[in-house]
Amino acid sequence: MTPIAPPAGIFDEMLDARGDCRAQYGAYGSWLASTSADAMAAKRAEADLIFRRTGITFSVYGDEGGTERLIPSDVVPRIIPGSEWSLLERGLVQRVTAINRFLADIYHGQEIMRAGVIPADQILTNDQYQVAMIGTRVPHDTYAHIVGVDIVRNSDGHYYVLEDNLRVPSGVSYMLSNRRTMMRLFPDLFRLHAVRPVEHYPALLLHTLRAATEVDSPTVVLLTPGRYNSAYFEHAFLAQQMGIELVEGQDLFVKDACVWMRTTSGPQRVDVIYRRIDDNFLDPLAFRPDSMLGVPGLLAAYRLGNVVIANAIGTGVADDKSIYPYVPEMVRFYLGEEPILKNVQTWICRRPDDLKYVLDHLPELVVKEVHGAGGYGMLVGPASTADEIARFAQALRADPRNYIAQPTLSLSTCPTFVEEGVAPRHIDLRPFVLVGRDVRMVAGGLTRVALRRGSLVVNSSQGGGTKDTWIVDEPGSAAARSHAEAAAGLALEPVQPSALEHVAPLPLEPAVAGER
Amino acid sequence: MLSRVASHLYWMSRHLERAENMARILDVGQSLALLSAQDGEDGRNAIEPLVITDTIDAFEATGRPPTPENVARFLAWDPQYPSSIANCLEASRESARTVRGAITSEMWETINDTWLQLQQQRSAGGQPVDTRFFEWVKERSHLFRGVTSATIRHDQPYLFIRLGTFIERADNTARILSVKQAAAAGARSRVPASASADEISDYYSLTAVLRSVSAFEAYRDTYRDAVDARRVAELLIFDSRLPRSLRFCFDELDAILRELPQQAGRAARRLAATIHAGLAYGELTEVLSLGLHEFLDRFLRDNVQLGQAVHAAYLELK
Repeated sequence: MTPIAPPAGIFDEMLDARGDCRAQYGAYGSWLASTSADAMAAKRAEADLIFRRTGITFSVYGDEGGTERLIPSDVVPRIIPGSEWSLLERGLVQRVTAINRFLADIYHGQEIMRAGVIPADQILTNDQYQVAMIGTRVPHDTYAHIVGVDIVRNSDGHYYVLEDNLRVPSGVSYMLSNRRTMMRLFPDLFRLHAVRPVEHYPALLLHTLRAATEVDSPTVVLLTPGRYNSAYFEHAFLAQQMGIELVEGQDLFVKDACVWMRTTSGPQRVDVIYRRIDDNFLDPLAFRPDSMLGVPGLLAAYRLGNVVIANAIGTGVADDKSIYPYVPEMVRFYLGEEPILKNVQTWICRRPDDLKYVLDHLPELVVKEVHGAGGYGMLVGPASTADEIARFAQALRADPRNYIAQPTLSLSTCPTFVEEGVAPRHIDLRPFVLVGRDVRMVAGGLTRVALRRGSLVVNSSQGGGTKDTWIVDEPGSAAARSHAEAAAGLALEPVQPSALEHVAPLPLEPAVAGER
Repeated sequence: MLSRVASHLYWMSRHLERAENMARILDVGQSLALLSAQDGEDGRNAIEPLVITDTIDAFEATGRPPTPENVARFLAWDPQYPSSIANCLEASRESARTVRGAITSEMWETINDTWLQLQQQRSAGGQPVDTRFFEWVKERSHLFRGVTSATIRHDQPYLFIRLGTFIERADNTARILSVKQAAAAGARSRVPASASADEISDYYSLTAVLRSVSAFEAYRDTYRDAVDARRVAELLIFDSRLPRSLRFCFDELDAILRELPQQAGRAARRLAATIHAGLAYGELTEVLSLGLHEFLDRFLRDNVQLGQAVHAAYLELK
């Protein structure tokens, strides 16, 4: 099959501007050329069967029959050269380290506010700022143990961070399942390429969780909202892979300010909780009293240091849209370094100059409500009528503090096996970063793909799929490597993103844990 | 392990075993019905599966006439009847799904595949109640048991899985034996036919009992003689080598409970050991002097009590 070229002006992961294969796709391109559409279709059918059989599905909320859907997994891999990844990796370590320093700071010394880098009220009045965490020490000052950073590549070929997911990032099970399936379907391709492994992620995660406490041989559990949660498959999968108990709130109880689980041999002490439930549902005594998902008294045990919760309570403040624009400042403030990973340029409307610029350029910008999620309270300039823009301008003038604005980005595309052939579809990337005694990650992450032609919505609930992500070390020299770096545009100088299209960040897991 | 997880594992296997037993009862009942039709029987065989499973009232509530086909469809597919084959397979898969982390991926794939195939058969328009369907149910159950034994570590989760299997199986064997024996006795008293007709009716009824618990060959090998009601009872109650006999089930249950954590399980262990002793050292003459029906009734009550004791000791969230 021959990949269809992307529209002009779009950065394609496989094809360069002349329509030739980029170096990292050389071997794959030849393989694809000698493979028929029928053979690809057969592989896809086989992949579907594997996913269905292994039950890699996600539940759909509010569906009486408990419908389970497959998240489509595309059979064409997204390939990233090793040199590009090395830079991304360094950038992620830097970024996540700075964010953890920031979280420790805002719940203790509050240096960054006193230095005037971030306005104090923007942090202290944030819904996600947990007063209960003020003065509460967590081991090693680690707050965000597991971070999923959403990265996109713009038409300029540069990578940009779109969002830092610091609460309960999901999707890693799809990364692992995609790889397992691809290795089963295309063993020949894996012989042709030196693909960096991802299979050790669960081991790395367990290592991270065990390192999160001072206790020797700690008991680690994974706390899930239960099987009606859309990401339940992932919770069960990870617990099994790590060999730890998958617990629900009802399995745990607090006694003498310690956390215990109910077992067939009586109560057993719990030292680390990898929770996949949002802050507000963790403890009905401290947060939402109507929640059945949590454990009464958990917060009290936590504040006394008798149990570790990962991620810590109150990390959400750092991935809020109103705080996102300041992450590069955090890197400079805490680490004294220039940020390696770029943010999408963001105008903070509470600043008079920014507000003026935004009001003047509304038709070409995306304006977001700072606490909004899932596309609510948002203006997509290029896709809006003059009337809509005028109405939004009013709201913006009335409460500028509630808004940020960004240029409309164009996501890169990657060849994807769809009805019309192997055609370009927009993608993003979510690497998973683990913070234990040091910061680690497996090479790659989850690539999400918008399966509808021209669509930028990679969300699984809206026609999004996933792809196996290959970090491939090129056989070439160091020179080839630095060439690749230059080509990928991962140089350190700031680059203005060009404005083409809009992109919305689309978390796999809703911000609110699914109540039954 | 978590009590909640133990509970799901226990019910996962209990429901699957129940589905298998239902398929056995219906399959044998149907082949028997084919024979009886020629004898011009009074439809007793048709409702027998309802008697065994104690569901006459539930079936009558559907308002359908008690034809063999309606009865079979009710017990195999009715969404309102909790222990229908379809509901049991669904419940078993749902338990497995809840505790996926505690079972092997092979086990999960087997039971999930069973469920998917069930959906296919349902959506293909048919709710089949033919031998092929019942064979399929049995096969899936056997497959799952084999996959389980061959892939999961033989420690606590495995013990709870088998605990569910054998408590359910003992219940089923006792029910089948109880109803079939009563039916055979009833037939003898009701039908004033020639001695030879009696024998024939008995023969089919008794071989049906044996076939429904896969014991026909075992009977032949053990007794090498005509099928006789007393020997059938002896085999299904006391034989220590027959995987569906009461004795066999309680050899297993007794051993499983000894391996589980001791602290909480005292009442359950004591009960199982008592029942087990009765089966290991009992004799058929005692059973007959008490009356087979009375003996089996008592056994069923004890078995239910054992299930409750297991729940109290290990499966409930206190």
